[in-house]
Amino acid sequence: MIEFKAISKKWPDGTAALSDVNVTIPKGQFCVILGPSGAGKSTLLRAVNGLMQPTNGEVVIDGVTLTSATARTLRQRVAMIHQHFNLTLRMSVAANVLAGLLPVVSTGRAILGWFTPEHRAKACALLERVGLTPKHVQRRAGELSGGQQQRVGVARAFMLDPEVVLADEPVASLDPKISREILSLIRDAARERNATVLCSLHQVDLAREFGDRIVGMRDGRIVFDGTPEEFTDERVEALYHGAQWEDHPATEVEAELDALQPQLVAA
Amino acid sequence: MDIKPIPVPAQGTTLDWHLDQPYRAKHLLLLIILLAVLLFTGHRTEMDKMVVMTGQAVGNVVGLADDSQVVRGLSRVGESMWPPALGTEEEVARLTDLDRNNLPFLASIKTHERVEQKLNTDTLQLEEQREQVEVLVKPLGYLWMVFIKMLETIEIAIWGTLFSVVLSIPLAWYAARNYTYNKFTYTLARGTISLLRSMPELIVALFLVLAYGFGPIAGVLALGLHAAGFLGKFYAEDIENADKKPQEALEAIGAGKLKTLWYGVMPQVVPQYIAYTLYILDRNVRMATVIGLVGAGGIGQELKGRFDMFQYDHVATILIAIFIVVFLLDQFSARLRAKLI
Ligand SMILES: Nc1ncnc2c1ncn2[C@@H]1O[C@H](COP(=O)(O)OP(=O)(O)O)[C@@H](O)[C@H]1O
Ligand SMILES: [Mg+2]
Repeated sequence: MIEFKAISKKWPDGTAALSDVNVTIPKGQFCVILGPSGAGKSTLLRAVNGLMQPTNGEVVIDGVTLTSATARTLRQRVAMIHQHFNLTLRMSVAANVLAGLLPVVSTGRAILGWFTPEHRAKACALLERVGLTPKHVQRRAGELSGGQQQRVGVARAFMLDPEVVLADEPVASLDPKISREILSLIRDAARERNATVLCSLHQVDLAREFGDRIVGMRDGRIVFDGTPEEFTDERVEALYHGAQWEDHPATEVEAELDALQPQLVAA
Repeated sequence: MDIKPIPVPAQGTTLDWHLDQPYRAKHLLLLIILLAVLLFTGHRTEMDKMVVMTGQAVGNVVGLADDSQVVRGLSRVGESMWPPALGTEEEVARLTDLDRNNLPFLASIKTHERVEQKLNTDTLQLEEQREQVEVLVKPLGYLWMVFIKMLETIEIAIWGTLFSVVLSIPLAWYAARNYTYNKFTYTLARGTISLLRSMPELIVALFLVLAYGFGPIAGVLALGLHAAGFLGKFYAEDIENADKKPQEALEAIGAGKLKTLWYGVMPQVVPQYIAYTLYILDRNVRMATVIGLVGAGGIGQELKGRFDMFQYDHVATILIAIFIVVFLLDQFSARLRAKLI
């Protein structure tokens, strides 16, 4: 269970990224955070593992408040899947997945790359689980396609059997078919472990399809909180009205820009 | 990605177009000052004299000027440098453990007649004394000696490089803003790096020879200390500029600084590190020949000895050897670098 208690965040430049956010996410829920660019989704997710220190309020995970004293142990139970996959591109797929264990292996083992047979077997099992094959194991992560890289990212995230999975726009740069596959993987792997998932998205259809619950954000505030059924087209319009578009895969950006420009100039 | 609307100026605003000349009086003044400074320092560094002397030399070569100090100096050295020395001759009488039936490879014993002028104390006249001297001639003896000294030089360079790599790793860790512990360790590491970089090898070697005596120890340490400053700075900058994304992923699960560096940064920077290290090795081989001049071992020490004894044919052999080794090393490291990146 994750509780956000009156979380506010003001960046040094004065941007109020979060204003008094109160949400409780029960154990095992797949909760989608939906909202346009700059709504504060990343900021909210990063509050859970302490990558972002809130100005006010606190985050409580399974009854333990996140402080600098508890951060180290809590972080091991909170996995994160990133928009840009955040793999070490010049390192092998295997080493990237095994890096998910770094908090629990000794420094000596980590430096030598001498992981136990159980750990190696677990890495292989997870790679198989996310749909990769033995021929990928020793490849450099940078040689994989975007979708495959995110599969490695998912495998890495589940190496420590997390209780909470944070996924910050995990499919923002992937095409719709791959996006569905990746989100299914995250959902199913989380369900098997009864892990709570906090997943930020900007695609309304994906949010409706995968979310047990949708939390709509706009300008650092929660403007919608309910089931996918309750998230009607009018609600969508209210959430996105006049908002900027989110990140798109690099190839689409230019076409998107051309399409947007007349609109923006007119606005 | 932020998509910003393109600002359109309001109706009726007059736009102020102007495109100025790129230079103004200020620039002309600066140019004059620069020229004045160049003239002043040019005189102090005898650049005017250099031009005159070089002109004379060129004139002498094409037959216009009848004398040139530069040409005289160069041709004197040039004549005595050719042919380069290859062999050695040693007096058999001084070789105590020579086995005549089992001479070293390619060696032979020859007899020279030595003529000496001696004063006869009875007649008070100079008399010629002839003496038969046996010498052991090794036709490639000097070449072999240069080879051994060159090997020693390369060994000094390799050990200096190893030493600098080992020393620069902790320096780089503390000097990387995102991995150092606090402002104090950062400043200390950066200060050490600047200090090491600012001490020229030759001068360090000079002092280390006083401390450790003549020989390779001073050479290895002098090369290692200077290069550690260089490598420390570049390693640290690479760590700072490495892609932050994988580091963030590892930080997010609480992997700790050292493990994050090892898994999130090292794989990214290793090819660059190897390139720097090869450059340092290359540079150290060249530098190792030079620091021998102050007695820090290797071929340089030999070079200095022969130079001081005016044995320019030996000097020629050494210079050719240095040239060949530096050339080969350059080729080797260029190939290795191309393979790695
Ligand atoms: N490190 C930062 N410093 C200053 N402002 C930031 C920083 N990170 C995010 N912001 C601002 O906070 C707001 C919310 O950002 P973010 O949480 O990244 O939104 P989202 O993930 O929903 O696109 C934005 O206005 C953004 O510009
Ligand atoms: Mg974001």
